[in-house]
Amino acid sequence: MNMENMESLPPKDAESVSPNESEPLSPAELDAFAPRETEPYLPGAEPAPATAGMLKTLFACLAGIVIPGFGHLVLRKWDRAVVFLGSIGLMFALGLHLNGRLFGPDFSELFSTLKFVADAGSGSFYWLSWFKGLGVGDPAAYAYDYGNVFIYTAGLLNMLVVVDIFDIAQGRKP
Amino acid sequence: MNNHILLMIIFSALASLVFAFIAKHGAGERAKYFFYLFGSFVLLSILVGLIMYPFPF
Repeated sequence: MNMENMESLPPKDAESVSPNESEPLSPAELDAFAPRETEPYLPGAEPAPATAGMLKTLFACLAGIVIPGFGHLVLRKWDRAVVFLGSIGLMFALGLHLNGRLFGPDFSELFSTLKFVADAGSGSFYWLSWFKGLGVGDPAAYAYDYGNVFIYTAGLLNMLVVVDIFDIAQGRKP
Repeated sequence: MNNHILLMIIFSALASLVFAFIAKHGAGERAKYFFYLFGSFVLLSILVGLIMYPFPF
């Protein structure tokens, strides 16, 4: 190395070098610039909900349609499964006990269609009761209207529960 | 079961329970939402009943 090249190098006295360049970075500071494969852990933040595959999503939704609460069981949401099975099952059973009527698949009028859709939302509860001949309904009974409302609501709530299953399986809800 | 208000309370409790578990996450939030919905169901039903009482339907 000749002397001319040495002289062309920048001087290394304290005034000409910036403070940042004078001290090497610590390992912790270097780690902050290292590329990361995952997001850093944030204290207090909830982990992102896991998503199920499309096949498992469809299976869970179908299970929820057939038996209320069973879709949540497939997704291992035990507390919701128990509550939905108990609440919807009890509501449907009370509807039958109060002489409510199970409306069959009659598509001749709009309201009969809607009644059937609401009733059939309970899945196997509806179909098993219908095939067994339950839910004939007694319009003269004291709580006939209440019975119908209990049966409609059980089916409609189960439809909401199936939407909840889909959201959980797709990772939109914890 | 020939008691309308008892049936209304049972209906409100069951529907509120399902809504609370669908809409909220965590025991505390669910409990608060359940009581909020349950109270709303019962009080508003009684209120609407009282408003409808004078009408000769």
